[in-house]
Amino acid sequence: MNVNTLKVLLSITQAFALTMSVAFIVYVVVIVVPYLRRKPAPVGDPADFSWHFFVPCRDEQTVIRETVRYLRATFKHAHVWVVDDDSEDRTARVVRSLWRRNGGFDPYLHLVPRRRPEARTGKGDALNAAYQELNGWLGEDARRDEVVVVVVDADGRPAANCLEVCAAEHLFGDSGIGAVQLDVRMSNVTTPPLRKSWISRAFGLKLAQMQDLEFRTAIAAIQTSRGFTGTISMGGNGQFTRLTALDSIAGDTAQPWRGSLLEDFELGVHLLTAGWRTGFTPDSHVAQEGLYSLRRFLVQRTRWGQGTMQCARYLRRIWDSPHVSTLGAAEMMYYLAQPWMQLLGSLLYPIPFILLLVSTAGDPAQVWAWFSEGAWILFAIYGSFGLLPFIVWGPIYQVKCLRNKNILRGIGMGMAYALYIYTFYITSWRALFRLVRGRNGWSKTRRNTEHTPGVKVALDS
Amino acid sequence: MAVLAVLALAVVLVFVERAYRVFEVQISGLILSVITTSGVEVVGERETVYFGLSGATPLGLRMTPECSSVFMLLPLFLVTAIMLWFRPVNARRLFFSLAVSALAVILVNQLRVLAIVGLVNWLGVDEGYYWGHTLLGSMVSVLGGAITLVLFVWLSTRKTKQVA
Repeated sequence: MNVNTLKVLLSITQAFALTMSVAFIVYVVVIVVPYLRRKPAPVGDPADFSWHFFVPCRDEQTVIRETVRYLRATFKHAHVWVVDDDSEDRTARVVRSLWRRNGGFDPYLHLVPRRRPEARTGKGDALNAAYQELNGWLGEDARRDEVVVVVVDADGRPAANCLEVCAAEHLFGDSGIGAVQLDVRMSNVTTPPLRKSWISRAFGLKLAQMQDLEFRTAIAAIQTSRGFTGTISMGGNGQFTRLTALDSIAGDTAQPWRGSLLEDFELGVHLLTAGWRTGFTPDSHVAQEGLYSLRRFLVQRTRWGQGTMQCARYLRRIWDSPHVSTLGAAEMMYYLAQPWMQLLGSLLYPIPFILLLVSTAGDPAQVWAWFSEGAWILFAIYGSFGLLPFIVWGPIYQVKCLRNKNILRGIGMGMAYALYIYTFYITSWRALFRLVRGRNGWSKTRRNTEHTPGVKVALDS
Repeated sequence: MAVLAVLALAVVLVFVERAYRVFEVQISGLILSVITTSGVEVVGERETVYFGLSGATPLGLRMTPECSSVFMLLPLFLVTAIMLWFRPVNARRLFFSLAVSALAVILVNQLRVLAIVGLVNWLGVDEGYYWGHTLLGSMVSVLGGAITLVLFVWLSTRKTKQVA
């Protein structure tokens, strides 16, 4: 390979790296503005709808009791459907004990037991089982357009105002809205983990705070801006769906949720391409536990990355749908391309640094002269552009979410967030390897309260 | 077919990148000869434009592959091809947005060259080139790239006005 060919190849990689970086900066600017300008919207009357919480459980004995108690106490007229996915612990027994209370039975609490080999095949299948049970329970005369299914994780805590917020005129009050996603928060941002060393406790707490920052700022901003592109996506926790919307995509087998690792995003794709609109509201939230363990966090994000890669198969469906605008399809394609762009970026971005290292090894004095005579400015500029789109969320989180004016702490949080985001370069590669090796099982991340020294941090199906 | 044509055009650009760079310095020479009076010369064989020839500090700017806009067009071609593949019905709009955005990329690079020339005239060769080639040049590239991307997305995805 001659020098000119090498220069051309380097220039091509440089052009793609610059385009990807600039595209990301533009994207962040575009999503920050509507997020910061958004005002709370009016609420509606929850009595206009019938609410059914679906709680899929696979070995959730450590958290399910408090979750069911919370849901039953906070939403007295809502039904709670706990799907026991053939748990190997006492999950089903805990739910049955809650069902039998005060000498009678709780008519609002339902247990959906599943048994292997049908069970433990994925969260989507567990939710489909609850959907089928609900269908049988409702009967044929039910006003299905007024029934709303709410998916909540076994450790989820939907805020007390979530039903009135979702019943609003612009959300389920609008008959064209098929699903609404709540803002997600972490419930343990002030509770350090029970660990021996202070470094470990501080790290665990910071990791949980980063997850809170991510969901309440960057993800909320992405979802808010998707209101303009008509592509608001669903999450796995705090996912509200109108029963008629589920019916429209359930097919003959009565299975609205599909089998990818990102069954929540998949649901949103099916709803949007079927002509439903989706909504997002930060006026209410669902709280869940942030992970303290880096290993568990990496497993969770690997699963999400792999799920996003799997959902690339929906690109054709999205672009072919007359219900999705070109801007919306482009936005969804950009989202689905993220793990692939991270893979590409992890290959492209280091190239200039490797070349610099090679040059430095060859002639350190010349490289130093080049660096000190102006190249440092380039490093400073491109370093800033690489970090600022992440750092910006720190002060935003500090001021908007925590109502604290300590900007310096916010910048510190933003820098930690930049480091946190760079873990995605690792998880995208792990996701690719799993995909290539055909390991598409449901890796359920263990909860913080599950102490399992020496065993896997996730459960494969 | 159209997708293949767009991809083929991108490949052709890579192969004719040197001719493209000569074309770029010729445009720079043309613009400089209009807006300056101190003498401009383009040497195509060296992909270089010389300016300030009648002054005390003439300078030549060589359009290397790294400085050229030719490769910045490739991502635009790639995205156009992907969008064309998924929604061929948008072909006319996509070709139009590609043409406008490509023009913007070329103009941004010319603007970068002009910024360097302007700073050299203002601050002298050493300091002017130093700031022009590093700080201002990079800022122009990033901001120009951002404007180009917004332009491309807006033109290629905007809704057609409904006729009443």
